Amino acid sequence: MWFANFLQWLSNTPFSITMRESTWAEPIVETIHVLTLTLFVGFAVLLDLRLLGVCLRRKKVSEALAQLNPWLFGGFAVMVVTGTLLFSGDPVSFYNTKPPFFVAKMIMLVLAGLNIVIFNLTVGRKVADWDTNPKTPRGAKVAGIVSIVLWVLIVAAGRAIAYVLPLP
Amino acid sequence: MWLRALILSFCHWCNNSFFGHGIRNSVWLFPFVEIFHLLGLGVLGGTILILNLRLLGLIFRNGRVSELARDVRPWLLGSLAVMLVSGFLLFSTEAVKMYGNWAFRSKMTFLLLAIIFTFTIHRKVTTSDESKLSPVWRTLVALISLVLWAGVGLGGRAIGYVTTAATSASIWTP
Repeated sequence: MWFANFLQWLSNTPFSITMRESTWAEPIVETIHVLTLTLFVGFAVLLDLRLLGVCLRRKKVSEALAQLNPWLFGGFAVMVVTGTLLFSGDPVSFYNTKPPFFVAKMIMLVLAGLNIVIFNLTVGRKVADWDTNPKTPRGAKVAGIVSIVLWVLIVAAGRAIAYVLPLP
Repeated sequence: MWLRALILSFCHWCNNSFFGHGIRNSVWLFPFVEIFHLLGLGVLGGTILILNLRLLGLIFRNGRVSELARDVRPWLLGSLAVMLVSGFLLFSTEAVKMYGNWAFRSKMTFLLLAIIFTFTIHRKVTTSDESKLSPVWRTLVALISLVLWAGVGLGGRAIGYVTTAATSASIWTP
């Protein structure tokens, strides 16, 4: 209940109203959100493909991680900020779409985060042992595949949200 | 003038083709193809970005440009193929309408330029011996590539805003 109240309160903030009623705010923010996909999802998939041993094979895994991570963090920050802005434009509708694509997307984002944590606590911790090997250990492959599948579904769910939101 | 007539009749043909017709009249097919287009965007954009960031000296500075280019090339080509096929299918559902859409026209212009640039000058710069290239030329090539592909992306995004909102939003409304 408190959450529904929070969403209601959020949608009545001047900020949310501006987001909803301005002609340009939504298209600009959405364009940034969609095009940053190239940086964030693109680089995340390239890293996953390295974990699978099928791309960037001449680079060490630790080097790929070190080089890509700053861009991934930057890209993710842009995605979260623009995504939050889009959500705040109509929080009640986002939360209540049928089917619940937005909620599904948020759950999958948490799972993608968990996948990264598990990777870092297990096979990623011993990266020095298999760093230069073009053939990567099974744990790394699992992390890579789980990550790719989740990002594919997250992108699909994100696109689907726009199909089920009520028209402004 | 004959070129315009040819393009327009091609648009009519696409509109009436079995795929144009089939995707247009299906609830699921359009979003399904569109998701492939978006995923292709992620990978294609990712490979183009990583190459250009390398040319600008902002990533993987320790390795050669040509090595990185060879590494990502199959993914660049594969995702470009996914983009072209899925994009053509999406286009075919409202090809005649797209013919008169200024955003679509500018996207196609940028796309043509971006593809030509990628497979000529950009390819040459990313595969050649870097000690023979001036940093200014390398930077310039990276920036031109980024501008051309950004034009494609922005044009694509604008198509949805130029067409009437009703056509894209009505798919799910009961």
